Amino acid sequence: MNFALAAALLPLLAAVLALCWRRQAAWLVWLSTLFSLLLALAALWQVVTAGPTTMQLGGWQTGLAIRWQLNELSALLLLMTALIHSLVASYSLSQWRAAGLSADFWPLSALLQAALSSLFLSVDLFNWYVTLELLGLAAVALVLLSGKKALQAAMRYLLLSLAASLCYLLGVALLYGHYGWLDVPQLAVAISEHPVDHRLALWLITAGLMLKAALWPLHIWLPAAHAAAPAPVSALLSALVVKGPLFMLYMIWSQLAGPELVVTGSWLFLLTGSMALLAGGWSALRTPYAKVMVAYSTVAQLGYGLLALGLMLQLSDPVFTQALFLFVLAHALAKTSTFLAVGEMQLRLGGKRLSTFRGASQTMPLAMFAVAVAGGSLIGLPPSGGFVAKWHLLLPLWQHSQLWWLLPVILAGTLLSAAYIFRLVVLAFNRAKPVSPDFAPALLPQWLALLPALLVWMLAFASGALLSWLGG
Amino acid sequence: MSLVHWYLLIAAALWGIGCYGLIRGPELLRRIIALNLMGAAVFLVMVTLAARTEPADGVLHALVLTGLVVAVSATAFALALVARTLSEQA
Repeated sequence: MNFALAAALLPLLAAVLALCWRRQAAWLVWLSTLFSLLLALAALWQVVTAGPTTMQLGGWQTGLAIRWQLNELSALLLLMTALIHSLVASYSLSQWRAAGLSADFWPLSALLQAALSSLFLSVDLFNWYVTLELLGLAAVALVLLSGKKALQAAMRYLLLSLAASLCYLLGVALLYGHYGWLDVPQLAVAISEHPVDHRLALWLITAGLMLKAALWPLHIWLPAAHAAAPAPVSALLSALVVKGPLFMLYMIWSQLAGPELVVTGSWLFLLTGSMALLAGGWSALRTPYAKVMVAYSTVAQLGYGLLALGLMLQLSDPVFTQALFLFVLAHALAKTSTFLAVGEMQLRLGGKRLSTFRGASQTMPLAMFAVAVAGGSLIGLPPSGGFVAKWHLLLPLWQHSQLWWLLPVILAGTLLSAAYIFRLVVLAFNRAKPVSPDFAPALLPQWLALLPALLVWMLAFASGALLSWLGG
Repeated sequence: MSLVHWYLLIAAALWGIGCYGLIRGPELLRRIIALNLMGAAVFLVMVTLAARTEPADGVLHALVLTGLVVAVSATAFALALVARTLSEQA
């Protein structure tokens, strides 16, 4: 637990120090992400060898204290947060002068990491609200780093994010009014012993979290906000920020929903997940702008997460929990790589439209390779992490013939993702009239953009260990 | 109708007005005030639920205090953003 606590608190310290010494901010935050990566690895090792632990913050008794829980799942998500942050920080450090990234990026990204790490570690409804609010405010401030072109998108994001937090908070207040607990494990016990009708509270919480996680049909704010942000910020938002509320949805629905509610909830998640796959994929295919395409791809990919969540609730099979979190990990790595590479190419080739990427396989081969490799995982080509996740979603579905209609939906979603990735790749291989770079592309940022894509393809080799940690 | 129900009804009305203002807009200031109304509704629910027992539930009071801090800082951030938007437009 000590390692996990340090991994969550170190970014907070780094954020404060980076605000005090703005000249050294970049190095400070970069070092803190590397150290928190080591600490998160140590925390995972501790869980695997010594088993899960919990901790009551401040030593108060249960009911007053905020409970932090370190198990395989939270340790993995903590590790994912630290890994993505260190990759993005390394990329930003390698090119932030060239890209004109504001120095405010460093303290804000460190704050984002602190908020997200404590979200994944805590199991307390009100502490989740505080971390959600911190996460939302840091994310909006990060979007604003793009300057005035991002103002409108950021304002919309802020208003919707605040409304979503209030929805969640009202739900939490009602749940506390029913049962008198904020601690999730205790609340689960209270609900199973004396169930009362808490549908309204749960639906308010669900609506708030779905808006925060940009789950279809509450995703309208995401494409504008993610596309307007600078490339490293888009990578953090798409890879990590939307996963926080998704994790909370999983925790709340798997532990706090009664048996009748679970059936309704699972249908909601199955339908919205299918629609997210189809509508998100279609919009990604139609948009003329590169970053908007990648942002819509996030909407579509979150659909797989929703499907896994719905199936887990409906069939109560732990294999879908594995599929859900494999998706979360694979998508985080693949989307980091895609956003960093697309951002790097936009910067060097000088344009926002997809047509800017004509001949990119010749002018910026490494970055284009990163997009194609990460795209392979988004489509679900074997042996990438995306494939392993989809395999664990599809395989049990064969045994449940009443849900046959999900198979064509997943097939259509896969074809749509292949179509939008290939649309970019085909343009990049059109070498007849390549768009020439504005200035010589640097190699280091391109390699750093490629790194997460290579990691997601190596996820398949670690999938045995991952599956056993996620409860096999 | 008991006092608790009466207060919960007021909170529901506040929440409804806030939602309406937030959706209808279109001025940003109106939307921010609407969000604050929704926040006030949530805090009213919490204080009402706390007052059901004697002595009143301290945990809910602590939640309201934390919620107020969060609401004030979020509102300050939103207002700063509005000021920036207006100065860009001018």
